Amino acid sequence: MKKLLDRNLKAFLLYALVVFLASVPAYFLIVDFIWRTELHEHNEIVAQRAKENFQRLSGDTAALNASIDAWNRIQPETDIVPVNAMDEDSVYTVYRYSSISGHEELDRFHGLISYFTAGGQAYKMTVETNIEESYETIAAITAVTALFFLLLLAGFLLLNKKLSKRLWAPFHETVGKLKAYDLKSQSQIPLPQTDIIEFESLHAGIRKLISGNIAAYREQKEFTENASHELQTPLAIVQSKLDLFLQTEGLTEEQSGIIEAANHSLSRVSRINRNLVLLAKIENGQFASEETVELTGAVKELTEVMEDFLTEKQIRLELDAPGACKVNGNAALVEILLTNLLMNAIRHTPAGGEMRIVINNGSVSIANSGTSPLPEDKLFKRFSSAAAHTTGTGLGLAIVRQICQLYGWQVGYGFRDGMHQFTVGFNRGKEE
Amino acid sequence: MKLLVIEDEAELAASIAGYLTDYTCETAATFTQALEKIEMFTYDCILLDLTLPGGDGLRLLDLLKKEKRNDGIIIISARNAMEDKITGLTNGADDYIAKPFHLPELAARVYSVIRRKQFSSANVVEQHEVKIDLLSKKVFVEGTEVPLTKKELDLLLYFIGNKNKVISKGALAEHLSGDMADMLDSHAFVYAHIKNLKRKLTEAGYGNYLKNVYGTGYKWEI
Repeated sequence: MKKLLDRNLKAFLLYALVVFLASVPAYFLIVDFIWRTELHEHNEIVAQRAKENFQRLSGDTAALNASIDAWNRIQPETDIVPVNAMDEDSVYTVYRYSSISGHEELDRFHGLISYFTAGGQAYKMTVETNIEESYETIAAITAVTALFFLLLLAGFLLLNKKLSKRLWAPFHETVGKLKAYDLKSQSQIPLPQTDIIEFESLHAGIRKLISGNIAAYREQKEFTENASHELQTPLAIVQSKLDLFLQTEGLTEEQSGIIEAANHSLSRVSRINRNLVLLAKIENGQFASEETVELTGAVKELTEVMEDFLTEKQIRLELDAPGACKVNGNAALVEILLTNLLMNAIRHTPAGGEMRIVINNGSVSIANSGTSPLPEDKLFKRFSSAAAHTTGTGLGLAIVRQICQLYGWQVGYGFRDGMHQFTVGFNRGKEE
Repeated sequence: MKLLVIEDEAELAASIAGYLTDYTCETAATFTQALEKIEMFTYDCILLDLTLPGGDGLRLLDLLKKEKRNDGIIIISARNAMEDKITGLTNGADDYIAKPFHLPELAARVYSVIRRKQFSSANVVEQHEVKIDLLSKKVFVEGTEVPLTKKELDLLLYFIGNKNKVISKGALAEHLSGDMADMLDSHAFVYAHIKNLKRKLTEAGYGNYLKNVYGTGYKWEI
């Protein structure tokens, strides 16, 4: 994974490199052109002035010849020779070893060949000026360009580092808030203020998404709640009719068996319904009152109530409570939490099995014998019973988790030494 | 004995009245009807649904308490809300039962409320040779004490409150263990308790009123 700005920077740098590379021949051509034009002008001025001077001496042939001779000797880069006929002016560029200066390298010369007459004789005049060699020009330009490119590169990298911190700060803040967001809070995320169009549009998108989600969540929750409430009355009617039906004179054993079977399923539906209502209520925070509950006592009371089930399945129960464990919470919810965990254990313990309850200061763990570990990720979800044949509602552990979430308690599952173990830690991890 | 069933669901009201045949049942389906009846008559027990067309059932409760009436009151609510239960009971209701419920459960509670209201001083239930002292929680058959467990006593009272009715094992299981009852596959524990209760009563010489009917239910036949 790369940072967005780095990817940006790479493209920018590549582009800059191409431009700089292209600029080298361009600079060279321009500089060279200027050089040549200027030197051409210079040569022409020199030639013009010389011509005029020589022509002034036209009358005196001896003086003229002496002057030309002297000129040729003094001005090594120029050359005046008598020719038979006049010709058009021409220019040339040539590489050769310089006649003076003792240079070991080839020098480049820009030359002008011009013709003039003086004293009735036609002369060819060559004027040469040293011009910077192309490769030297190119080398110099390349060096300067490279230097500037390096400056640009360093600047970009530095700016990128600084900018990515500053520019993306609101973005990182937004991401952090999104990560911490819990739809159950049913409130908008307080997104940071920003004057960047892109971030503002991102925020607008997020706000829209969240308010849509909140609405959908609320609707779904209300639906469950309303559906469960609406079901209670018809369920009550069916239940009462079955109870009444059982009073009919002269029922056969078969008929009464049918009623009993209907009763059994009906009470399961009723319980699922009650649990759904309960879940909705916990989510809605309708268990506001809190008191201190002493767990050992509560567990003992519950296991007494459950004694019938323990005897029926011949489960050996071991209760280990070395210290008192007091928790703050709604007494009814704490009882539901414990009941669900205990009943869950009883239900899934094979007949003749074993249950062990350990109450420590700050945690309760309930273990029961089993065969193989259960999928922890599915355990606490609604209606995802791990056991295929079950009489449970599939909501017991979901309620446990919901209660733990409400109070910031931690509930966990583990499997060791052939025992399923559910542990609830009552130290509030975080307030919600 | 007179009961008033305040319930807007006609079918449910009919079932209740149809089951509680030991009492004279009157019904009211709206807040106004209920108010009229309450103002005109007194009842041994009023079954009060809280969600009523025309007004909140809790207001009727307030009214009854304001007039210091002695009618027993059992709240029947679909709301099943903890607050309703607490408000109801602190405002003077005698009991609370959440929909859906078993009719025998309701009958047992009606019986218990009326008994408490009427025999508040000498709390003794007598049925033929069986005598139950509710304060000391002792049971006597023809003068001899029969040692019963808490659950056996509970069952005995439940049967007496539902005399001559067929009670399903499911209803008994729910009565004994509440919500936990149907978390388990079998209701064998119900059978175990009833067997023990029957054995103890038979040994003390009662008239075999508790009968097993149709294989799955029980009946206290007087």
